[in-house]
Amino acid sequence: MTRLRPNLTTPGLLGPPLLWLGLFFLVPIGIVAAYSVDVYSIDPGPHGFTTAAWHEFLHSSVYLRLFWKSVRMSLTVSAIVVLLAYPLAYYLALSGTKRKYVLLLLLIAPFLTSYLLRVLAWKVILGNNGVVNSFLYWTGLRSPDHPLSQLLYSRFAVMLVLGYIWLPFVALPIFVSLESLDRNLLEAASDLGASRFHGFLRVTLPLSFPGVVAAFLFVFIPTLGEFVTPSLVGGANGYMYGNQIVDLFGTGFPDWETGSVLAIFLLGVVGALSIVFARFLRPRQVVTG
Amino acid sequence: METQGTRRLSREQLLKLAAAAGAGGFVGGRLGRAQAALDWLGAESGRLKVLDWAGYGNDGGQTMFAQYLKAHPGNKPQFTYMTNESDALAKLHAGVKADLFRPYVGWVKYFAESGLVQPWDPKLLKNFKLLNPFMVKAGQYKGKQYGVPADWGFDAILYRSDKVTPKAKSWSLLFDDRYKGRIAWFDDLNMLTIAGLYLGFDKPWRQSDSQLRKSQKLLMSKKKNVRLIWSSETNLWEAFGSGDLWIAYAWPNDWVQMKKKKLKVVYMRPREKPVAWVGMFMLLKGSPRRHLAHAYVDAWSSTRSAKWLEDNYGYGHANTHARPASSDLLKALQLTNPKAVTEPAAHLDRDIPRRSTYARMWEEVKAS
Repeated sequence: MTRLRPNLTTPGLLGPPLLWLGLFFLVPIGIVAAYSVDVYSIDPGPHGFTTAAWHEFLHSSVYLRLFWKSVRMSLTVSAIVVLLAYPLAYYLALSGTKRKYVLLLLLIAPFLTSYLLRVLAWKVILGNNGVVNSFLYWTGLRSPDHPLSQLLYSRFAVMLVLGYIWLPFVALPIFVSLESLDRNLLEAASDLGASRFHGFLRVTLPLSFPGVVAAFLFVFIPTLGEFVTPSLVGGANGYMYGNQIVDLFGTGFPDWETGSVLAIFLLGVVGALSIVFARFLRPRQVVTG
Repeated sequence: METQGTRRLSREQLLKLAAAAGAGGFVGGRLGRAQAALDWLGAESGRLKVLDWAGYGNDGGQTMFAQYLKAHPGNKPQFTYMTNESDALAKLHAGVKADLFRPYVGWVKYFAESGLVQPWDPKLLKNFKLLNPFMVKAGQYKGKQYGVPADWGFDAILYRSDKVTPKAKSWSLLFDDRYKGRIAWFDDLNMLTIAGLYLGFDKPWRQSDSQLRKSQKLLMSKKKNVRLIWSSETNLWEAFGSGDLWIAYAWPNDWVQMKKKKLKVVYMRPREKPVAWVGMFMLLKGSPRRHLAHAYVDAWSSTRSAKWLEDNYGYGHANTHARPASSDLLKALQLTNPKAVTEPAAHLDRDIPRRSTYARMWEEVKAS
């Protein structure tokens, strides 16, 4: 007679991470959502369910414009960084260099230093007396009375620094997808008369597309809610949606209700985009014809 | 191990107990004496908890409460930091247990009415008589001393005299189109008050809806000229010192710091008058360490602490006997004039009844 023994392996393995996710991700989101409809409030006075803050947000041109501005900034950063990272990852994965892992290590070396330090270093580079302007003074292209002043405390500064910060994150998934590429397919394309460019366009690129999409999302999602970099190098013009959320929670007068609305809206948009992009993460087939 | 029943008293605690028992005996005989002693033991146990701004705790501000530490060596204060009053309010609502905290004068009425605080007993503050009477009055609500004044300063305009030629001694310099990209504002809803002062409203702290809209419109239309909306002085000093900024909403110490960098700077008092702010210690309701909290604030109010604050942090101190080593700071703060913080010299910052509306409108300015 055999005793039926429940298989505890799967729940045993999945249980703790799911519990972690539930407790420290889903429950806090639920709490923030409750603040957004005034079910929870830091105001000890009477309060109850209301969608007033949502209504106000959805009819506020100011907040939605700021959100759109942040979307545009994040899209620009993500697109440029993907374009820059692709050749880099391509070289590392497909050039056949024996030192590719050393080069990869060099690529991620900045991660060994603090995020804050890396952002602050750009202040030294971009300021009126920074490296760039000093070089321009030295070459005579600019005089110290007329420095390139829009380098720092501007939208440009935020996008530049975000691009710099996230570049290694982008290169890694593209590198992984290119590295796992079946080289026989490239050889087959070549044998069938495809030029290197055509081979790239019809074989390499489609097969590495999931890596490109993953890389794009890796940058787009965190930069959309970014607030540290804009607060350090953004000035008045580089202010982003993430800064607004932080400020609503913490400056002036605490407005957790509106702050929560903005946070949940951001989460919703990011979630929806992730679902849309997820279908592109499946391996693509080689383009034929 | 120390337990309540068997705890050993230090010599200092014994002396205090005796003093408390003596005081109790004076008013209530043997019973009062015993009660006072028990009260002291029961009520003042545990470490003093202070909710204060960064830089004023065990992270560099120890001199400010050195007198307290000397008297209570076994009760080193524990600090929780606040980034602003709004943050402090959120922390208090979230359950942070502190004995005292330090909002600014514009919040005294709000906190006094909130039920979160209780008044101080000035009789327990030896140095109270040294504090500026105008600031002391500003800390009162319904005749009770809810706020004990500490640090103070002005909001006015700092500008580079070699780069900027103001059209008038006015807040208008913060909105001047000629200096687009060279101006810094302060990240605070008081920018709406400044706009109200500039627009000539009679009660900038109590603007009507239409006035607020006008103030907000002005700020939104002039934001294009603003390079930086600063929230920390170091951030301002860095940008101003490197030449990125020429004009800034600033405090007196910012002028002193920029002078130290050999910049040609002027600290201009606008004709609409500067706004004066005063830090106010407030005692939280239900504090089990009321006497220790008083001792802490008394230490802050001493002339020695006050001078240290002026010399090291560049703010004024409500202690009228303190004088900074820097003659520039003395001049910028007008320390020889006890009425410097109030009319007709300046507008003393005050309660904004519709603070949440101001805050929301200021956030919209930043987001615009």
